[in-house]
Amino acid sequence: MALVSKDELIHLGWISRINLSEEEIETFHHQLDDTIKYIDVLETFSSENLSLDHLEIVFSDLREDKAIEFTRELIPKSSRAQQGYVKGPKMK
Amino acid sequence: MSNLYNLSAGEAHRGIIQGDFTAEEYVWSIIGRIERVEGKVHAFITLNKENALVCAREIDKKIRTKEVVGSLAGVTVGIKDNISTHGLKTTCASKILENYVPPYNATVVERLQNYGAIVIGKLNLDEFGMGSTTEFSRYGPTHNPWKVDYVPGGSSGGSGAAVSSRECTISLGSDTGGSVRCPASFCSVVGLKPTYGSVSRFGLLSYANSLEQIGPICRTVEDVVTVMNAISGHDPNDDTSFSSRSSVPYLSINQERTPSSIAIVKELIDGCDPAVSKTIYSALDKFKEFGSECTEISLKSVNYALPSYYTIAMAEASSNLARYDNIRYGFSFPMEGFEWNTYISNVRSNFGEEVKRRILIGSYVLSSGYYSKYYLKARQLRSLLRQELLSNFAKYDLLVGPTMPVLPFRIGEKIDDPLKMYLMDVDTVLANLAGIPAISIPAGHSNGLPIGLQLMAGPFQEQKLIDAASLLDNAINIKGSPEI
Repeated sequence: MALVSKDELIHLGWISRINLSEEEIETFHHQLDDTIKYIDVLETFSSENLSLDHLEIVFSDLREDKAIEFTRELIPKSSRAQQGYVKGPKMK
Repeated sequence: MSNLYNLSAGEAHRGIIQGDFTAEEYVWSIIGRIERVEGKVHAFITLNKENALVCAREIDKKIRTKEVVGSLAGVTVGIKDNISTHGLKTTCASKILENYVPPYNATVVERLQNYGAIVIGKLNLDEFGMGSTTEFSRYGPTHNPWKVDYVPGGSSGGSGAAVSSRECTISLGSDTGGSVRCPASFCSVVGLKPTYGSVSRFGLLSYANSLEQIGPICRTVEDVVTVMNAISGHDPNDDTSFSSRSSVPYLSINQERTPSSIAIVKELIDGCDPAVSKTIYSALDKFKEFGSECTEISLKSVNYALPSYYTIAMAEASSNLARYDNIRYGFSFPMEGFEWNTYISNVRSNFGEEVKRRILIGSYVLSSGYYSKYYLKARQLRSLLRQELLSNFAKYDLLVGPTMPVLPFRIGEKIDDPLKMYLMDVDTVLANLAGIPAISIPAGHSNGLPIGLQLMAGPFQEQKLIDAASLLDNAINIKGSPEI
């Protein structure tokens, strides 16, 4: 039985903001299903009383929370950048 | 003087400092080599020849005027094209970033340049570092210098192939699940994945932040030491880099330090290609001759490592790559006729197929209903694996196994079966999940194809890896260069 349906794949494309072609839906459907079946082995492992992984970061090591002056030169030089702003597509 | 490109970084630097040849002559030799073999290897995405010559002349001037120069002065370095270089295109081998020119240098690039290294160009990779063969590059595959119709490994395939083919002296790669060690193994060079937090990731275009580290690929262990001493250490721009210099010690070469105890991991050697296992056991015999006590051990959580790795890596990829919307930078794709969401969805359909697959799977494992089933479980297993590995490093100096369970294979042979490709990373992902250092060193050949030995050590125990690698490298002496 497939763990990922075509409808789920189309939904994943939407939430990932990737427009999928008919051909991609056909190919990815099988490939994603194979991969999800492979990682499904995780379910066979009993994880009771196990902690989550954690990175050993000492909070005193973190950078001071201080504003750094913004340099407008860092805005990419594209035709869409005007007066320090960048033009985007219309919202609905 | 015509074969200067064959020199290691140490040899080239000493030759330049002693006045045997100039940095400019050395760089010209590398450029000549690139012009002769790049058509067959295809290691580079962008070349930086003119600027490299300018830098070489500056170094020559400093030497003439007796100014102090760094330990990499005159050495040419190739940079994986997912590491930011000021004013030099950084594409991640993706259409999405085909025109992106970073306004700043990655910390590692800045540090190499401070030591006098000369950036000769940007190297090919699997798009955004996602792959094990460098076939998933927008710019076409890189070829293995040892057999040009074979894959060089990946995702830092350009970095491995360029060093092996003598198109640059040293290179930087990034290692998320083996992406430095795999091409080092397939191209018969030395590749180190440092301890998580020992090298700054500032300027590395993120794929899976909790797993990846930048690491050197070189032809000698000595060169790995020189590069690591230049790039490691705290960076205020990367809060995951360790702040204490004592945590990230300077490395040195000493071939008299023998590891007292080595364990071979049963699960890593079981099921690999017979030619690979034979070579790994031969290397282990060498360590026995040096006096190391060698034991076989079994790690029960290893069988869950690969599914855990892919769950975490793809989840982080789907989050990290959400930023690429083509609004502030990107490729030419007019906005007229699109509303916000459809514009971004259409732009992002220009990711390559492997990147799309990983983003989709990442979105799946992070979805409501699947999050605790996959993602949380994977993180718990990661914690267990780290504990199991650390408890073994209390007993053994090093854990060993093959870097790759298979020999390099023909370009195109496995590209249609993503799962088969993922399974090849079984031996390398442990070090990324646990955040420990690991090195791949050349251990032999089978039918002209290279085989790499992987050594793993506890956190910040890079010196133990260097000692063992140096000892073995000297003893088995896998030298020679590919005939291209």
